[in-house]
Amino acid sequence: MTIPRRPTPDTTVVTGAAGWLGTALVHHLVGTRDGAIVALVTDPSEADRVRAVDERVTPVIGDVRDRASLDALFDDDHGVTDVLHTAGVIHPATFDDFEAVNHVGTRHVLDAARTHGVRRFVHVSSNSPFGTNPHPTDRFRNDEPYAPYLGYGRSKMQGELAVFEAVEAGLDAVIVRPPWFYGPHQPPRQTTFFRMVRTGRFPVFAGGHQRRSMAYVDNLVQGVELAELVETEPGRAWWIADERPYEVREIVETVGRALTDEGFDVAPNRFRVPDVVGRLAERADSLLQSRGIYHQQVHVLGEMNKNIACDISAARDELGYEPAIELYEGMRRSIRWCIDQGLEL
Amino acid sequence: MGTHHDCDVLIVGSGAGGAPTAAVLAEAGLDVLVVEEGPWVDQGAVTPFSLEQMERQYRNGGLTVALGRPSIAYTEGRCAGGGTEVNSGLYRRPSEQTLERWREGWAIRDFATGDFMALCDEVESALSVQTVPGRHTPASERLRAGAAALGWAHDEIPRWMTYPEGDDAESGQRQSMTRTYLPRAIAAGARVLTDTRVDRLIVDRGHAFRAELTDAEGGPVTVDFADVIVCAGAIHSPALLQRSGLRGLIGRGLAVHPTVKLAARFGEAVNVSDDVPVHQVKEFAPELSFGGSASHPGLIALALTDAWSTMRDAITAWPEIAVYYAAITSQGRGRVQALPGFRDPLVTYRLTRRDRDVLGRGLARLTQVMLAAGAREVYPSFRHAPIVRNRADLATLSDRFSATAASVMTVHLCSTVPMGDDPEVAAADSHGRVFGTDNVHVNDASLLPDAPGVNPQASVMAVALRNARRFVEARR
Repeated sequence: MTIPRRPTPDTTVVTGAAGWLGTALVHHLVGTRDGAIVALVTDPSEADRVRAVDERVTPVIGDVRDRASLDALFDDDHGVTDVLHTAGVIHPATFDDFEAVNHVGTRHVLDAARTHGVRRFVHVSSNSPFGTNPHPTDRFRNDEPYAPYLGYGRSKMQGELAVFEAVEAGLDAVIVRPPWFYGPHQPPRQTTFFRMVRTGRFPVFAGGHQRRSMAYVDNLVQGVELAELVETEPGRAWWIADERPYEVREIVETVGRALTDEGFDVAPNRFRVPDVVGRLAERADSLLQSRGIYHQQVHVLGEMNKNIACDISAARDELGYEPAIELYEGMRRSIRWCIDQGLEL
Repeated sequence: MGTHHDCDVLIVGSGAGGAPTAAVLAEAGLDVLVVEEGPWVDQGAVTPFSLEQMERQYRNGGLTVALGRPSIAYTEGRCAGGGTEVNSGLYRRPSEQTLERWREGWAIRDFATGDFMALCDEVESALSVQTVPGRHTPASERLRAGAAALGWAHDEIPRWMTYPEGDDAESGQRQSMTRTYLPRAIAAGARVLTDTRVDRLIVDRGHAFRAELTDAEGGPVTVDFADVIVCAGAIHSPALLQRSGLRGLIGRGLAVHPTVKLAARFGEAVNVSDDVPVHQVKEFAPELSFGGSASHPGLIALALTDAWSTMRDAITAWPEIAVYYAAITSQGRGRVQALPGFRDPLVTYRLTRRDRDVLGRGLARLTQVMLAAGAREVYPSFRHAPIVRNRADLATLSDRFSATAASVMTVHLCSTVPMGDDPEVAAADSHGRVFGTDNVHVNDASLLPDAPGVNPQASVMAVALRNARRFVEARR
């Protein structure tokens, strides 16, 4: 069944264009659609990077925290415009950036979009507004009650609420919710993940039976584009992830296999951690965040013993979303990309 | 001296276990005496789900409490017909997975799924189990609409009801034990002694021969028998066995479906105080199910007590309010312990961390169903709960929820004398004879190896028919 799509717009505005998802998205857009691509970036070096992707990409230096800087994204003579809002912060420099970027920043972009009469606004959210599954086989349904996980989750929830308010005010906006994603264009910190697996030091809690949904970045790009182009009610939101959730032990094993198949020596993973360590880390993270401090390692450790699994059937039914890439293939592509970039794993 | 009775088979209790047992045995020509602690109250003599009914037909006037963090309140029928007289009459067969889990996990002999389902057919015919032919109550309809709006699986549970005077839900007549199996037992010659409590069985080297009882005036009664079948429910069956000196695994494996509640206020009248919703949301089954509760004004007040300071104003709007529950299958277990000198046993139950998480998520999801159904305000039943009016308030609910602050309750109690041939996990054999005895049997919810994840009385009645037939065959 093919689901009818709108034509691609004359102009596509991408926020967070130099980020992980933003870069993947820009690469996809230049190869698949005509028209202008306007990229919000934060500094000249990012501007150079996105310009290097394709000459049709026009970088605009600005900041979602600064509403006035966003008008430059829009040229009201440039026809039909869509906004793909990927800008966000997950591991912030300071705790306050969660609110400033993910919530207030989203309000700014929404406001700019409404002012300039865009056709559709796609907001990239997260699993974090919904917390964790209460047991391993539970799946988040497409509509779930908010139960935000710490500071990031709260800020992403506020971002979603801002989108719903904008929809009430007449904007055609929708939301895409990816869980943990992976794939090319990853930021340097993500190589730590491969290194931990390669050296057999990835922390696996209580047998690693926790289920995690993950999204290969190109699957996510597909989901964002469908959310943009498929005609639906405004205010819809969809999970976009790989076809099924993975067990943490399966993730570690698969990444180990992908590394081996790319020629790396992979040490067997012996880093088994009792459940209580995860709970302590979660508590420490919560305590630190309550004092406005964000600590990436503690945060990631505290989240590793959780089930975070979602059901993508609504995206399939309503958007025709079909995730093409699975974990092993996605990880191999990701590793090859790192090698091509000269990154040390 | 007191009164004395002799009988071939003494059946203790007249509910979903005892009544079918009595009918099968009496119809096979056995001399049966049924003893019931509560009164005989004809259907229709008191208003269903009313406070008067709680007073007359429930144990302890309604609620009893299993201790733990949190404590779990539970209700038990205490009248001829037991729980079938006072509950919602909702009927669900156990799933094939449940039957297989029981058969494999407890080594239950002669427990083929097909045979069991045939027994269910029989129960359904005897009790006229059916769905509502006409219109549902507004509260039931709201639950259905909310689930449908979210795209969540839901269905209507059939009940033991007939509709001789009209097709709508509110004109149903409950086909409880006092209208079905108990009259059959009596017609076949069974005697029924109500308002009489069995204090203990006299057991000598594994053989019971006499019961000591107390009648309504406090006078002593004795009954001599060849066999005794205890059907006093999952709390009082193990308590009676323990008072009779039988211990082992008896009373240790209490399983329940813990539930949490909310009250939802709609913009129009939805409350039907003498009936309950028949729809259930099964999207998250078996771990989590949502349904509707009895909602007369007294019970709404009860549901609101946890946050009385913020919610008391709502009570005057009771016609616009209905109460709903989220029930979970629990990994925790409880215990029933008879205490010397106390009339009621000590009941304890421990929820696991996972149970508490599922309750919290369940309450939030149920609240979401209510918002999707058009509720203007939702009052979750736990201390310091927010009033939920929109999706942002759901985050506050999840943030504040704590199982230890919630009114956790249950109506489904089972598994205190689990049956099976594996004595490591079972307390009675595959047909309910208590291990270590030659003539003490159990035939009620206590035998179910664990909580079935659905309303359990279909399972209880089918097991009761099965074991009663086996008992009759063994006698021949």
